[in-house]
Amino acid sequence: MEQTNKLPEKVKYDLKFAREIYSLENGSYIKQCMQCGMCAISCATRDIMDYSPRRLFNLIKLGKKDEVMQANTFWYCTSCCTCLVRCPRGVPLVDVMHDLKKYALDNGYGDYPQAAFYKAFWAEVAGRGKSFEGGITARYFLFRGLDEVLKYMALRDVGINMLKHRRLPLLPPKKVKDLGNLKKIIRKARELSGKEAR
Amino acid sequence: MKYSFYPGCSMEATAQANLKSTEAVAHALDLQLEEIPDWNCCGATVASGVVGDFTQQVMTGRNLAIAEPKGQDVVTGCSSCYLSLARTNKRFKEDEHFKAMANEALAAGGYQYNGTLRVRQFLEVVISDVGFERITKRIKRSLKGLKVAGYVGCQTVRAIPYEFDDPEYPVMFDRLIESMGAEATAFPMRTRCCGSSHALAGTDIVVDSIHRLFDSAAQGGAQVIVTPCPMCQMNLDAYQQRVNQLRGTNFNMPILFFTQLMAIAFDLPTDAWALKYNIVSPYAALAPYGVR
Ligand code: SF4
Ligand code: SF4
Repeated sequence: MEQTNKLPEKVKYDLKFAREIYSLENGSYIKQCMQCGMCAISCATRDIMDYSPRRLFNLIKLGKKDEVMQANTFWYCTSCCTCLVRCPRGVPLVDVMHDLKKYALDNGYGDYPQAAFYKAFWAEVAGRGKSFEGGITARYFLFRGLDEVLKYMALRDVGINMLKHRRLPLLPPKKVKDLGNLKKIIRKARELSGKEAR
Repeated sequence: MKYSFYPGCSMEATAQANLKSTEAVAHALDLQLEEIPDWNCCGATVASGVVGDFTQQVMTGRNLAIAEPKGQDVVTGCSSCYLSLARTNKRFKEDEHFKAMANEALAAGGYQYNGTLRVRQFLEVVISDVGFERITKRIKRSLKGLKVAGYVGCQTVRAIPYEFDDPEYPVMFDRLIESMGAEATAFPMRTRCCGSSHALAGTDIVVDSIHRLFDSAAQGGAQVIVTPCPMCQMNLDAYQQRVNQLRGTNFNMPILFFTQLMAIAFDLPTDAWALKYNIVSPYAALAPYGVR
């Protein structure tokens, strides 16, 4: 009995955080979640997620910024859309996961390898207008450092096989010709979405 | 019939087999694929995580804006491109506020998209516009007895649910396999995720996901797996050996694009089969059908 009246010492409710997340592009959908658990039993990577999407949304409602932002949940989402088609409340979970990734990167929570991959991918697309496997891989290792390179030596067979079967072009694809205008579009879009978000 | 074709980045690199076989099959079926000039990356399932959905969708919208004057359906052979393009297109069609804002951004580069096009996955074009009957008539090489697991994957049927098949129990892909004269085997995991873009940053996720897929396909007695998706093809093909190393299994399952199997069934030139790009050799499984 006694225990239930006490809050564990470390609990810090930060409702500012919840409001911030609700104001992201797809953030307000989180309020629609009724905690039914359908996404949790559907998720392709639930077994290895710190919290299922359902639990993550609950933590957001409680304002638990650090728990949410340090969780692997949204980084481990594979965009398989299973939850998306099953959620009875129509929460577009994949899009919400995108928002959480972006928010994490913008706020300095980018420790997962996936975060480095995302940044590497975007750097290639922003610079060329097209993605290039070789460039993404190089940038990824640059972000992650030498330790990661060594870890990947175990995977060299995969790389060699890809090369042997001409699956890894060594040269990047041609840049988009109209790259200047594409960049202008992207800049404008980012500016507009920044305004809209709040 | 004419289409605006969006190849996507993977077709120029890891999935050249997809490009070669798709072009050849389209030609054999009288489908004209006209590449969208100067197209840019659709952002796949990754860009949104860095720049947000709006920016990615605007970027994707540039491709649709370029294609719009021709008025032809936009077709792509990549499930991830399909997801980006189709969902972006849907927003342009259904969300006036989004459309106005997106066009404000597109205008910065001199483009505009009115949302008049249809976006389609090549698999769906083959099924809906060509149809099983015409495909069966076109078969020149019998694949009778070949046991094929149809790996639909996730995004093809789930990007826009019920657009052309059930997102949980799709049946069209199996019917396509059977219209080619092969046997579609039981494959309960046919829409389960392959681990998608985690190949580099989350190898364990891919290994774990595809291990389950191989198990499921093998239990159904499959000799080959076919798929419409470049990501699925790459993960299953390139990481199969790794699964065997890590899990002590012995899988030796060729992973073909469905267009490769069609090119074989149509008896198109071997170039169109594009089998040299396959890492797990398909020759043993296909030898009884004269493929060498
Ligand atoms: S399926 Fe939808 S409503 Fe149910 S817990 Fe998940 S997000 Fe909430
Ligand atoms: S889309 Fe992401 S969160 Fe949803 S089921 Fe797939 S992996 Fe899980």
